[in-house]
Amino acid sequence: MVYEALRGGLDFTKDDENINSQPFMHWRDRFLSCMEAVNRASAATGEVKGHYLNVTAGTMEDIYERAEFARDLGSVVIMIDLVIGYTAIQSISKWARRNDMVLHLHRAGASTYTRQKSHGISFRVIAKWMRLAGVDHIHAGTVVGKLEGDPDMIAGFYDILREPINPLDLRHGIYFEQDWASMRKVMPVASGGIHAGQMHQLLTYLGDDVILQFGGGTIGRPMGIQAGATANRVALEAMVLARNEGRDIWNEGPDILAAAARDCSPLRAALDTWGEITFDYTSTDTPDYVPTSTPS
Amino acid sequence: MRLTQGTFSFLPELSDEQIRAQVEYCLTRGWALSIEVTDDPHPRNTYWEMYGEPMFDLHDAAGVLMELTSARATFFDHYIRLNAFDSTQGWETVRLSFIVNRPAEEPGFELIRQEVEGRHLRYTLRSYATSRPEGERYP
Repeated sequence: MVYEALRGGLDFTKDDENINSQPFMHWRDRFLSCMEAVNRASAATGEVKGHYLNVTAGTMEDIYERAEFARDLGSVVIMIDLVIGYTAIQSISKWARRNDMVLHLHRAGASTYTRQKSHGISFRVIAKWMRLAGVDHIHAGTVVGKLEGDPDMIAGFYDILREPINPLDLRHGIYFEQDWASMRKVMPVASGGIHAGQMHQLLTYLGDDVILQFGGGTIGRPMGIQAGATANRVALEAMVLARNEGRDIWNEGPDILAAAARDCSPLRAALDTWGEITFDYTSTDTPDYVPTSTPS
Repeated sequence: MRLTQGTFSFLPELSDEQIRAQVEYCLTRGWALSIEVTDDPHPRNTYWEMYGEPMFDLHDAAGVLMELTSARATFFDHYIRLNAFDSTQGWETVRLSFIVNRPAEEPGFELIRQEVEGRHLRYTLRSYATSRPEGERYP
């Protein structure tokens, strides 16, 4: 699966957050097999490829053991789950710096304390902590996928991860100015329920500095995983090309995708399968302030 | 095989008109264009040969296209890419990079596996083309 997806056009694939080391997939076996796939895909395409190897484990010693194994196999990236805890995250972040490794953070568990308005904290706070902790990637919402989110709230998360200075912006949920000086930035990850047919919306909402992760949108389709990956890559490149040419992708997006699909049967199949499927429900994470017009 | 480094490598080859539109997009954002050439497309070969200087002071897409035409005439059998470099934000990075010329035949890469301790393997990629000297790799 890793090989097929990388060969088809994805830059990275990832372990699921639930995959750590189970009887049906021991971590050492998985790491060995995945690195074979990564290197074969790299040879087939001439691109640097990677697979986020999940090193989440019960103790810090186990996490280090798995991370070192990943490094020795030549992986460029490892991943952890948020549930390992803040101290562990900072420790592995320092390890990642010492070992030239990209560190991906999956926010598994976040919704247990971000979901309710009456209790817990906003994901914005976690985003800020994780930037301070030094991770390189974090799942930060998609607006249109299944990790639902109000567009303004998601914009606030992305601002906190990517910008050098956050001015006060109540609409985005930012209550005070924050100057990040030279603090490292975090690449936000859009993941969960997204597919090629939404490419114009994703690019409009999330911009260029984002990692788009298509899981079900790559695998769940009739022509196979490699074709699914190609469909996503072609859709993204066609949309970036059109946007840079000055086209109005928000309104012309479906036409741009349909035109690109004329040269690319995997994309045509993807659009036929997913079409305009969208997860349409009201977000629970909403801004406390909304702009209203005032008589002037 | 088809080398798929950079943006747009999964699309049909861009026409000069399409390339011009991308260049204009970059110039309106204050990014500097540069042209680079190589016959060693190893994915870890980050720094290709510069074709002329980066065009920091050039603000006209026609000038970039003229440079590209001349690069293609000299290096028709090489990989050529256009890079857009952004220094406007207080940090510096390449914001867009795409291949605009490639050899007629792309032989691809050999995956060399070295069996080491346990079940470990050390992987190395070798471009079939680079077994020949520089400049004679894509006849």
